[in-house]
Amino acid sequence: MWVADLVAAYATASGRDIRAVDGVTFDVQEGEVLGIVGESGCGKSTLASLLALVPPRSLQMLGGRFGIDDHVISPETSDRIPREWRGKLVALLPQRAMNSLNPTARIGDFAFDVLRAHESRVTRRQAIERARQRLEQLALPPRVLESYPHQLSGGMRQRVVTVISTLLNPKVLIADEPTSALDVSSQKALVLLLQRLLDEGYISRIIFITHDLPLLSNIADRIAVFYAGKIVEIGPTKQIVDEPQHPYTRALISSTLVPEPRVRCQRLEGLPGAPPDLRMPPPGCRFHPRCRYATDICAREEPPLTADGDDRLVACWWANAQRQNVEGGTHESRAAVGLA
Amino acid sequence: MSAAVPREQPAGWRAATLGSRIARMRLGVAVPSGRFRFSVILLGAIVVFAVLGPIVLGRDDPLKIVGGLYDPPSKAAWLGTDNFGRDVFTQLMHGTRTSLVIGGIAGAVATAIGVVLGTVAGFRGGLVEEALMGLTNVILTIPSIVVLILLSIAVGNRSIVTMAIIIGVTSWPWTARAIRAQTSSLRTREHVDIARMCGAGTLSLIAWEILPFMLSYVVLAFVLQMASGILQEAALSLLGLGPGDGTISLGIMLHWSLRWESVRTGAWWAFVPPTVLLTVIAFSLLLLQSSMDEFFNPRLRRK
Amino acid sequence: MTRFQRYLLFKTIWFILAFFAALAANFFLPRMIPGNPVDAIVARLAAGGTEARALQRVHETFVREFNLDQPAWKQFLTYLGNLAHGDLGTSFAIYPAPVRDLIADALPWTVALQLPAILVGWLVGNILGAIAAYRGGWFDRGAFVSSLFVSAVPYYCLAILLLYGLTVHWPIFPSSGGYSYNRSPEWSWSFIGDALHHYWLPFFSLVLIFIGGQAVGMRSMAIYELGSDYVGFARSLGVPDNRVVRYVFRNAMLPQVTGLALSIGVLAGGALITEIVFSYPGIGTVLFSAIRQNDYPVIQGVTLIVLIMVLFSNFLVDVAYGFIDPRIRAAQRGER
Repeated sequence: MWVADLVAAYATASGRDIRAVDGVTFDVQEGEVLGIVGESGCGKSTLASLLALVPPRSLQMLGGRFGIDDHVISPETSDRIPREWRGKLVALLPQRAMNSLNPTARIGDFAFDVLRAHESRVTRRQAIERARQRLEQLALPPRVLESYPHQLSGGMRQRVVTVISTLLNPKVLIADEPTSALDVSSQKALVLLLQRLLDEGYISRIIFITHDLPLLSNIADRIAVFYAGKIVEIGPTKQIVDEPQHPYTRALISSTLVPEPRVRCQRLEGLPGAPPDLRMPPPGCRFHPRCRYATDICAREEPPLTADGDDRLVACWWANAQRQNVEGGTHESRAAVGLA
Repeated sequence: MSAAVPREQPAGWRAATLGSRIARMRLGVAVPSGRFRFSVILLGAIVVFAVLGPIVLGRDDPLKIVGGLYDPPSKAAWLGTDNFGRDVFTQLMHGTRTSLVIGGIAGAVATAIGVVLGTVAGFRGGLVEEALMGLTNVILTIPSIVVLILLSIAVGNRSIVTMAIIIGVTSWPWTARAIRAQTSSLRTREHVDIARMCGAGTLSLIAWEILPFMLSYVVLAFVLQMASGILQEAALSLLGLGPGDGTISLGIMLHWSLRWESVRTGAWWAFVPPTVLLTVIAFSLLLLQSSMDEFFNPRLRRK
Repeated sequence: MTRFQRYLLFKTIWFILAFFAALAANFFLPRMIPGNPVDAIVARLAAGGTEARALQRVHETFVREFNLDQPAWKQFLTYLGNLAHGDLGTSFAIYPAPVRDLIADALPWTVALQLPAILVGWLVGNILGAIAAYRGGWFDRGAFVSSLFVSAVPYYCLAILLLYGLTVHWPIFPSSGGYSYNRSPEWSWSFIGDALHHYWLPFFSLVLIFIGGQAVGMRSMAIYELGSDYVGFARSLGVPDNRVVRYVFRNAMLPQVTGLALSIGVLAGGALITEIVFSYPGIGTVLFSAIRQNDYPVIQGVTLIVLIMVLFSNFLVDVAYGFIDPRIRAAQRGER
């Protein structure tokens, strides 16, 4: 799957659009898990709804394009997407899986409806049998097919939702904060389930969207850091976690990975303010009002995503400058950055 | 008339806080809709008609006989005369006034009882809640018109105020249910906990931490109760159980016109005006309620 | 005990309690007059111009039937005992006709009018409201405002206007009664045809109102359901809209069934007055003339029958709900 320069905005009553996704570019390779991390309100869920082909009515795709295999979606075609693409090509693992099942239908009946939506000749018996096999292969109890959602525990409901959304073997699974309502052991079970779906080849790519960086570092191969509708840094998980370049990434990591009270207080110092109002994003780099390294250029010009090493991209004037210094041989400054 | 009662809504989704509502107002989203303005203008016109009409036109005696049986409309009697030869237009103004007064008092009584029982049940929870809501549901099931008939038999001489009270004490259950649901979702809010930790008692908690957050709700309930009170009065009066002592209400006008066969003799001026007026009053109150409901609960607004 | 059995048991107990509450209300409410109730009633009859012989009769009947020299609770027991024998007392106005017979003659007409009207109105109203919620746009606006208007029209007002419009101004339908004056009820095709001819107008005036109220309620339930998470999830998996809409309607329907149980009382009360407007030979018309003639045993008989019918249909709807809601039904089979 690839995404090129994607722009999408919500129309508001005041006439000023909210650009929740603003020039996003990345790709996801076969077998890969791409993590997208960011604060709430940064446009992650908007991106998820776009990629899952279920944008809210008020969301308009304005530019760019994205595609899966040879299926391409552009602003011109975005409102004529064939229904069959959803679920088969790309599937959504929703944010609130607790309420994502129809309370008055058995799980098996819903599985039938999902299969039937894509294979008009499948019978109820065949559909339920396929769902049963899938559950057994994933070491989940097949009896859930006979149950109503309220008869299942929260964690089980989340796993069932995961199995159903991958029943059609979609090319891409978009998981939008699937763990936010779960306790730690259910979170772990879900991550293992996703891993297993990938290993068994039922799905070939996962885009995992969350604000939970520690969790992401366990499952993602690469991580994209989202801020105010843009990717500010993207690269292999290990590089992002161990040597973050963008000041925002650093702030995220220092605030979440070390859960000590002292460090938490530092976060308040280190990352003042709130994410910008997307109706009136600040000029230049969108992070500059909150950034302690900001200089004049940050407020004037938007930093481009520039390569740092083989597969990492960073959008930051300060990081660029640091890198040039390092390449120039001043190792001290790099050490200083590491301590900051 | 199932629309004249607040429906049970999934708990919590009405719970727009005062703060968020004010925020919306500042953003200029919450402009009163056309329906709201329309219903307010309509109601204003009705009140002026009922209160100022008789004074301005100098028609203060609705019982004065001015003509014969069902005289058609003329210059003297704009809407003709009724079966006793009384002026229909004068009766209409006085009848509307009676309806509004009875509706207002009955609505206030019903809303007050409903709010008290609903908040106590919702706030105390447990056995108190079970008992109060059990009672409410039993009363809800019993057709209120039947209770009204039975009570009206007991109370021989019914004044406007007794009528209003009788209607009020039989129509509170819908409000009690709705208010209870609202209270129990508010009860678990943080500000209530904080106030409780500061030592506030049940009464002051309800008065300061619960009620202010559902004022909009209480107002909506009152508007509905007033509408249903007006209709209940008209139904009772139509049956012949209306206020006595020569009071005129829209329902009493209908009662006489039915008993004296104005419909089948074609004397439309005797029954069309009160019918239309009752409908317009009820419609404008319901419209007011639903437009206020959409204003307070943006989820009902279509995008 | 399964959840379904518990549900049934609870509803049955509730029904029995409500039944006795209704009996007690029917007995005690009219007796809330201070002093000796019989004297008060007789005094009012006398003021209303009833002749002395009738007054005497009323007094005797009351004392005999209700053991008025006894304390109130004993009177209540007597009343219950009489009811158990199907004895509703004797009419004052049409002496000595038993109230039971008066009501038995009228009741079939009322049931035949109300039951179909409530069912048809409920069904059509819900379908209309659901379509309005789903389609949105001009259809929604039109259907919503007109439903709101129709449901705001008091049932008796609509009845009066229909009566005038369609029997007097444009004489399409017969203007009163359940059948023509020159006929008497019998089981023949021609009588049934005649009765149907008289049936349509009161039927439509009831149905129209029910449709309005139900449509407004269903619309807001369906809008709420359409915005819920499971709709979004099903759509994101490519489940076609017509399938998703079926989930929505079914789930929005469930509260409407409970709503039906709660509004039957209001509907039944309204239908009584509709009968009066059309002079339909049901118990509403019986009630109207009883009130005019201060015929207390008949009034109380009618209110009792209405109470019992409403409670019973309530009970039936509640039990039906247990069957319709799969969550309760599943529990019935012992599935956990």
